[in-house]
Amino acid sequence: MQTDEMKMQKRKTGIVGLDNVSEGGLPSGQATLVLGQAAAGKTVLSLQILARAIERGEGGVFVTFEESPAQVKRDAASFSWGEKLLTSERWQLIDARPRFGAEAAGEFDIEGLLSIVGATIAKNQANWVVFDGIDQLLQYQPDPKIAIDQVRRINDYCEDNGWTLLLTGKAMGESMAPAHLEGIEFLLSATLVLSARVVGQQLNRSLRIAKFRGSRHIADELPVVMDDDGIQLPYHEHLPTAEVVASNERISTGVGRLDKLLGGGIYRGSSLLISGRPGTAKSTLAGSFAEAAARRGERTLYVSFDEIESPYVRNLTSVGINLRDPIDNGLVQFVDLSAFALRVAEHFLTLRRLIDTFDPHCLVIDPVSALLKASGTEGANLATEHLIDLVRRRGITTVLTSLSGVSDPEGEVTQGQVSTLADSWIVLDYNVRGGERNRSLSIVKSRGSAHSNQERELLLSVAGVDLADVYESGSEVLMGTARATKVRDDAVAERRRQLEREQRRLDLEKRIAQTEQERDLLKAKLELEKIETAETDRLEDVQREDIRQRRDPEQENSEEHSRLDAIHDKGE
Amino acid sequence: MSNQQPAETPMPMLMLFVTGTAPRSQRARANLAKMLDQLNLSEVKPFEVDLLEQPEQGIEHAIFATPSLLKFDTTGEVSVLYGDLSAEERLQTFLSDLDQPE
Repeated sequence: MQTDEMKMQKRKTGIVGLDNVSEGGLPSGQATLVLGQAAAGKTVLSLQILARAIERGEGGVFVTFEESPAQVKRDAASFSWGEKLLTSERWQLIDARPRFGAEAAGEFDIEGLLSIVGATIAKNQANWVVFDGIDQLLQYQPDPKIAIDQVRRINDYCEDNGWTLLLTGKAMGESMAPAHLEGIEFLLSATLVLSARVVGQQLNRSLRIAKFRGSRHIADELPVVMDDDGIQLPYHEHLPTAEVVASNERISTGVGRLDKLLGGGIYRGSSLLISGRPGTAKSTLAGSFAEAAARRGERTLYVSFDEIESPYVRNLTSVGINLRDPIDNGLVQFVDLSAFALRVAEHFLTLRRLIDTFDPHCLVIDPVSALLKASGTEGANLATEHLIDLVRRRGITTVLTSLSGVSDPEGEVTQGQVSTLADSWIVLDYNVRGGERNRSLSIVKSRGSAHSNQERELLLSVAGVDLADVYESGSEVLMGTARATKVRDDAVAERRRQLEREQRRLDLEKRIAQTEQERDLLKAKLELEKIETAETDRLEDVQREDIRQRRDPEQENSEEHSRLDAIHDKGE
Repeated sequence: MSNQQPAETPMPMLMLFVTGTAPRSQRARANLAKMLDQLNLSEVKPFEVDLLEQPEQGIEHAIFATPSLLKFDTTGEVSVLYGDLSAEERLQTFLSDLDQPE
């Protein structure tokens, strides 16, 4: 019946990542404890939330109990949102530092404080209140229990007046209780814990929602980046929510034969991992992909870790890949980053910003394994996972290269887990045989494509990249000179076979011709014989007629008849 | 008024910050009057500020806890004593330089 009233209302902090993990912001009209050690970013977080609120047209009061107002202003001024905050009329900064040398002679109330803040807020129509370092005042209470009571009083006052309050407190060790204010963590409905730890000589910041009564939230320790824009949770910022349409369009890798092996190229919006040992032509293949994208008129963000632009581009030119022109005409944005310089989370943030501003169709990161060199407690896995997720959601076709160990050509599997995340995976390697080192390429996986499972030879020349068809010899694949030799041997053998066949054909044809000649001869003979036989028959008929006439009584020529009979007898 | 002392004997001025009729504020008022009596300073009348009515005075004097007792000495230096002034010794020490002119 009262569910709407009972349901917690939240107020946006304007820190996108924080609003996402808290599913909408901090409890509105209530106090949130912001706990952290010195320099963990409590004041910055509070100022940033206030600055974002003011940008949205809200107002606030910042009460500092510890830092001087000048120091607070300096804190704010070092961030991109600082100037707007400092020139805004919609907030007040109250210096509530206890007077130097102050003492306590008994218990006191904080009604006066609330009255002062209330009066200020009424002027600004504000709803955000920050009590930064209130322990500096409350530590004067002779009885700590009273201090706790007063925090409860503050919380009640916030609820009555609709203030959303941030109460900062100093963390002591791993304890959830702030210094001087043990117990208030149970009182307030939300607690954020900021931490800054030195890991591998670099400062790693994190934020954790330790408590959020009555609200779903992500309770993990979340990597935080603090840069010009202040505190950010790079892995929890907005991702496009629109449904990602799986494209059926194939786009070229820039190597025609490779496209053929992949069933026409890689899918638009998919990711391709190229892994291999040093010198296996990973960059060359990546460069070829970018060049092909530029030829289609598409933008490519080209991120090179630890190799600077001009030698990189020159090296590609030597194998017939021209990135200079697309860089000059703005189709390729080449960014060289130093892996050591930043933490993994910062690299991720940098990449995301580049993607946001350049809005590329294609992305190349060469090599993504460099992220492993950057420090960061959360490791490179998280960064690459989020990166692949990000590009997939934005439909950016991505080529990542990864360096594998010399002794372990497919060792990428153990680093970064990129291979399990990427849609396609090409492994480049050397094939050493007969004193030769030949580059090989094999497609380990290609989601959604029928692809060749055979290793190919990768050929580099000034004309570009190409693949040589594999040469099978029994169960082996031959490359380089071995392949060439085999090709030549086989060609010779083939020629010989053809010659032999031709010879046989000629022989047979010859025999046929001979036979036909003989047949004609016999036929002619037969004709002759037929003619002869016919003549003979005719003569015989004539003779028989003669005889008949001679034997006739009117015939006298018997002498002749008997002579002819004698011839006839001889002939038989 | 109690603070209108002859120029040659400038009296340090006391200001008591309270919040309405809150129990601790009432106690402070009583404790202060009692102590001034004990120290024969009953002619000293502390100037009272109610932060519920004059919150801007709190900002001006940087007083956010009530009750609080402020003491301005001849050089303009300000001392603060927080609380309901129930710690008699502390209060006495705090007020000790008030009786010096006598």
